[in-house]
Amino acid sequence: MKVSYFETGHYQPPRQLPARWPVAPDNYDGAAGARSYSGMVERLGLVETLGFDWVSVAEHHYSPHRLTPAPTVSAAYLAACSRRIKIAVLGPIVSQSNPVQVAENLAMLDNMMPGRLVVGLLRGVTGEYLTYGLNPQEARERTTEATELILKAWTEPQAFGWQGRHFRFRTVSVWPRPMQQPHPPTYALGASRESCALAARHQLGLGVAYGPFEVMGRAVRYYREQCAQYGWQPAPEHIIYRANILLAKTDGAAQDLLEARRGPRDSFPLPAGVRDALVQLDRRNIAGETRTPAIGGTLPINFCGGPDTIVEQIKRCRAESGAGVIDLMFQIPGAADLSFLMQSLELFGKKVLPHIRDV
Amino acid sequence: MTQAGEAFREGHVEADGFRIRYMAAGAGPPLVHLHGAGGLRLTPGHDLLSRQFRIVALEMPGFGTSSENTRTRSQAELAATMAEAVDKLGFDKFNLMGTSFGGKTALWLAAQQPDQVQALVLEAPAAIRPEGSEPPSGSPEEMARRLYAHPERVTLPPPPDPAVRAQTGRLVARLRGPDRDPDLEVLLATLAVPTLVLFGTLDRVIPPEMGRHYKTLLPNCNLVLVYDAGHAISTDRPEAFAEVVGDFVERREAFVISRNETVIHP
Repeated sequence: MKVSYFETGHYQPPRQLPARWPVAPDNYDGAAGARSYSGMVERLGLVETLGFDWVSVAEHHYSPHRLTPAPTVSAAYLAACSRRIKIAVLGPIVSQSNPVQVAENLAMLDNMMPGRLVVGLLRGVTGEYLTYGLNPQEARERTTEATELILKAWTEPQAFGWQGRHFRFRTVSVWPRPMQQPHPPTYALGASRESCALAARHQLGLGVAYGPFEVMGRAVRYYREQCAQYGWQPAPEHIIYRANILLAKTDGAAQDLLEARRGPRDSFPLPAGVRDALVQLDRRNIAGETRTPAIGGTLPINFCGGPDTIVEQIKRCRAESGAGVIDLMFQIPGAADLSFLMQSLELFGKKVLPHIRDV
Repeated sequence: MTQAGEAFREGHVEADGFRIRYMAAGAGPPLVHLHGAGGLRLTPGHDLLSRQFRIVALEMPGFGTSSENTRTRSQAELAATMAEAVDKLGFDKFNLMGTSFGGKTALWLAAQQPDQVQALVLEAPAAIRPEGSEPPSGSPEEMARRLYAHPERVTLPPPPDPAVRAQTGRLVARLRGPDRDPDLEVLLATLAVPTLVLFGTLDRVIPPEMGRHYKTLLPNCNLVLVYDAGHAISTDRPEAFAEVVGDFVERREAFVISRNETVIHP
C-alpha cells in the first residue's frame, strides 16, 4: 500500500467566520494565511522524512477550509521545497478550465520535478460549479472532452486542431512536452460509470473518495470490468482512495475526539434556494447507481482509531476497495490544533506506515 | 431604429389621493419599476425586460407632468403611496425594481410589504450614499456626463420644462433623506426578499463601492457590477442589464447557477 498525505492548507481563522457560502473575502486574515502556506512546507518536510510516498493537493475555490484554488501553483511550491516525495495534483477541475492551459501547466510541473508528478483530472464537486459559472448539466461531458484533449495535447507529436463539442482550438502545440512519457501517471477522479469508462478507455488510474470501502469497491470492480473490455488490467497502484483519517494514540482517544466533532458541521452552507436548484440539475452516480449530489454536509471519517486499529482498517480497505494508494486527509479535532496534526502524522509514519507497506 | 419604450402604453391609477401615471408593456410575471430622481424615462432596458415580464413603470407623484407634490414628507410615505398604486393595479405578488432615488423607495416598499415583493432589483440605488454627496445638477450636457459612461452615445431627451424641473428638484431635496438612514438600515437587516443590487463600474453619481453596504446589511443580497456602465445602467448597457435582471427575477438566488450552453457543434 502506498500512502499520500492530502494537504489543504489548514487555514486557522483567528475569529469565527460567517456561516454561509460564499464567505466574504474581508474575513480573510493575512497572517493566518501566511502561517497556512508556510505550514504546508513544514508538513511536507515531515511527511517526506517519515516516508510518505506522495503529498497531494486539490483545487477548491472560495473556501477558508481549502486555501488552494490553483493546484498547480500549490504543486510548484511544494516541488521546490522537496526532493524525493511525489506530488499528486488531484486535481485540476477540468470541466471549468481551459484544457490546453491545464495541459501546459501540468507539463511544466512534470519537467520541473522529473519523475515526481502524479495527475488526477476531475469534474469537481457540485458546489464548485458556481465558481466560474459552469452549467451543471454540461459538467460531465465537458470533463470527458477536456480530459481527452489534455491527453492528446500531451501525446500528439504534431500540432493539431480540436473541433470538439465544447472546446475548439485551431492550433494546439504544447511546449514543454511532459518529461514522463507518454505522460505523467494520470487518474480519472470519480466513482461514476463515466469516470470508470473514461479511465479504462485511456488506461488511466481511477481515484475514488470518502465513500465506505464496500461502496467504493463497487466502483473499482466496475472500472476493472471496463479495463478488461479494453484489454488491460489495472495494478493496485492504479486505484487511489481518498479518505478522512482520525488517528490518535489509542482507540479510546480517537473515539473521544470523534464524539466531540459530531453535530452539524457544514460550516458554510449554500443558500437553500441555490442548493435545492443545484441538486435538481446535477446528476451523479456510483458505478451507474444514482446518488444525490453531495452539497455541503459532512464527509464521513473513514479511518478512526489508534495505530493498530488503523492498520487493520487499512488492510480491510485494501481487501474491500482494491485501492493501492490511500490519500489521507488528517482530521484536526476541535479548534486550531495543528500540533495534533503533526503528532498524528508522526504517529502514522512511525506506527502505521511500517505495517502497511506489504498490504 | 425604434424609440425606447415605443411598445409601452400609458395608463393611470388613483392611489392615496394621487392620480398616478404609468407606462406598461409585455406579458408575464409583474415587474414594477420605480424611477430615479430625473423622473420616468423608458430605456432600451425596459424594452428588453418587457419580452419577459409585464413591466409597469410608475411615475411617482410630483414627477413629470403630474402636479406638484407638496404632501409626501418622506421616502417611507412615498413607498406607502406606491404600494397602494400597485395594489390598485391588481398585483398581489410582484417583483420590484427601483432605480437610484427609486431604489430607496423600493427598499422602503419591500420593507413595508415583505410578503408581496418576490424579488427586488436595485439599479444604482441611492439609499446609501457617501457623506456629503450631491445629486447631479447643471446643464443637460453636464448631467449626461454624470449619468452615462459614454454620454456621446446617448441621444438626450429634450430638456424638461424649467418649472417642472424646479418642482421635481424641491421634491427630491425633501425626500432624498440623509446619506445613511439608520431607520431604513435597521429594516434592511430584516428584509428576507432576494435582492439584486447593480452598480455600473463607471457610476459617477454614486460610487459603486456603495454596493458592498447592501451586501453587508441585507440578508439575501447579490451584488453585480456592470462593466463599463455609468449610473444609468439600463441606458448604457441595456442588454447586459436586462439579462441579469431577467435571470434574477426569474430564478432569484439560484441565478448564480449558470445556464450557459457551451456546445459549439453537436
